[in-house]
Amino acid sequence: MPTDASYGALLDAVRGVHWPARRAVVSAVAGTHRSKQRGTSAEFTEYRLYRQGDDPRRIDWRLLARSDRAYIRLATDRAVLPTTIVLDSSVSMAFPMATREKWRRAQEIAVGLAAVAHADGDPVGVAVAGDDGDIRMVPPRTRRGVVSEVARVVDAADPDSAGEMGKLLRATRTKRIALITDMLDDDDLLIAAKVHIVGGGEVHLVHIVAKEEVDPPRRTMLAADPERPALQRLLVDATRREYDEAFGRWRAGIAREWRSAGASYTEVITDEPAAHAVRRIAEPPAYGAPRL
Amino acid sequence: MSWLIPAALGVAAIGALATIALHFIARSRPVAEPLPTARFIPDRAIHARTRSMALTDVLLMLLRLTAVVLLGFAVAGPVLAAGGKVSRIVLADRSRAVASVEAVRDSARVYLRQGDQLIAFDSSASLARTTTIDSIVASRARGSLSAAFSSATRGGVRAAPTADSIELILISPLAEEEVDPATMKLRAAWPGRIRLVHVVGSETVEKPARVEVRAGQSDAVAAGLSLLPALGAPVRVVRGQLTVDDSSWARNGNLLVHWPATDADADWPHRASIDAIGGVSAGRATLVGRFPRPWALSGRVVARWADGEPAATETVVGTGCVRDVGILIDESSDLTLRESFRSFAYELLAPCGGRRASAKIDSASIAVLAGAGALASSTNLRDKATETSPWSPWLLVAAALALIAELSLRRASSRFA
Repeated sequence: MPTDASYGALLDAVRGVHWPARRAVVSAVAGTHRSKQRGTSAEFTEYRLYRQGDDPRRIDWRLLARSDRAYIRLATDRAVLPTTIVLDSSVSMAFPMATREKWRRAQEIAVGLAAVAHADGDPVGVAVAGDDGDIRMVPPRTRRGVVSEVARVVDAADPDSAGEMGKLLRATRTKRIALITDMLDDDDLLIAAKVHIVGGGEVHLVHIVAKEEVDPPRRTMLAADPERPALQRLLVDATRREYDEAFGRWRAGIAREWRSAGASYTEVITDEPAAHAVRRIAEPPAYGAPRL
Repeated sequence: MSWLIPAALGVAAIGALATIALHFIARSRPVAEPLPTARFIPDRAIHARTRSMALTDVLLMLLRLTAVVLLGFAVAGPVLAAGGKVSRIVLADRSRAVASVEAVRDSARVYLRQGDQLIAFDSSASLARTTTIDSIVASRARGSLSAAFSSATRGGVRAAPTADSIELILISPLAEEEVDPATMKLRAAWPGRIRLVHVVGSETVEKPARVEVRAGQSDAVAAGLSLLPALGAPVRVVRGQLTVDDSSWARNGNLLVHWPATDADADWPHRASIDAIGGVSAGRATLVGRFPRPWALSGRVVARWADGEPAATETVVGTGCVRDVGILIDESSDLTLRESFRSFAYELLAPCGGRRASAKIDSASIAVLAGAGALASSTNLRDKATETSPWSPWLLVAAALALIAELSLRRASSRFA
């Protein structure tokens, strides 16, 4: 099991990465994200005619003197964006059995995203389901050491729960939620995400896929679903192509549905370094740039 | 090293080859492996078997091969060589055909060594370790090489575990009367050459005939016997009950024929059920008629009924013998007047122990008896039905250990698969 110290290289690699909000946020606390509120910060945006009820202290007196018109000087506020990393701890994340690569990558991405958000001054927390059905959560905080706290919770968790990502998402009240999951468990997760997005929230879906799932061993194998042991299918040359097509269609469908719902979707194959994946999630390519 | 059952080695070899072949042919049911995305595999009825060759498979194959080979060795029964040891079996003839039993003893002393077997024989032979040269005494019984060879074979089986080769030495005058139809077959059963040591045979001149018949008036058998030519030995035929004088007469080296005329003239044991039969034979003579069979006789068989049961037997008494003839002749028949009856009676009235044929057997038969080639190998004389190899239990234990190791390895490999 990885320890907090084992994230050192990752935290170094994601230093300097920013995770900007995808749209203006509403928050009273000053931060680094563009706020929907126009305030009195030093960053000028525009003038607006004074209306009854405005604070007279915000009138640009010099402009009034020059034009004899009362304008209010508007400036874009910067706000914080509370972020919660929701980690899927279902049994299917413990794959492959020997290395648990999916779970390890999910842990690293969770800690990496928490570090990036924390570096931006955002409150950050984590939520993960325990094997007894309860939710282990670190509420979003900005204090020092919260990343270590997130790492400890993530490390203490084990991929042996029933999943219930939808339940976790509904229990999370923060504006920005990053879902790190393999999408193999919860059918109502998209609905819960849509509700969150409609409510002004921001959802980032990090889809963890094991490279052994993309390219299973080239031999005859009786594949069993670890979450449904009764489901056993024979993977042979005759069924491999259909498997590849079905799995590819499913992943493309998920990406399409989630992007249509307004969420950010990033697929992470387990052979991709965690720092690289964190950078892709936090800093999506500019419009027109090739999507990695 | 030799094997008690060499065929088991062939079976083991076939088993080993089959094990190897099965190892490469057999395929195991695929072991279920976790794959979270298994749901995307089309649900189709496909039957497949996997075949793989891992290190554990090679070890399993080697263990199975070891077990099969060890089992084969255990069943085959390895027997280690006895270091070229040659054991001897000396057949000493003490029958009436031998002129001097001293000559037989002297010859036996020449060949008999410590640990060798000495078998003295006449009409029968006994295999006893306690037989010594001095215990060989002359017998008046007819000699039987068949009995000697049969006993020698048993002695060979006894000596086989401790010797590589067995030399058979026959000390005998090799008289014709000692050979019967079974002799050459029994000789052929001895798997090696035989050293023949010839001793001088007796040349007894048979006495002139003097037939004395004690019977009632108009006895049919007496009438028939009166027509016989001169016989070679003194004979007394009694058609009634025997007397003390008859017995003493027989003890003095004479032949007494007790041929009761009626059922009441003999106190022999009766058969469980009295029946009748259509023929009886003695030697080369046959008598055809309807004969009741009231008695069950025992002793050396002289004549047999058509179904093989004894019709006349001989018992040695003193230096002579008493011959019991259980053939009831119908007084009203003319059977005894026929030529066939005279031939039959001639055989019945032969001297005690049968007619003598003291002439030495022909050289061709002697050559057959001697044989050629090597001495009898102990491998061919082993009693494979009862003899066991001292190595077999250990080989079985080793095979069992190999099977236990195979089971453990198989369980371990399936646990970690």
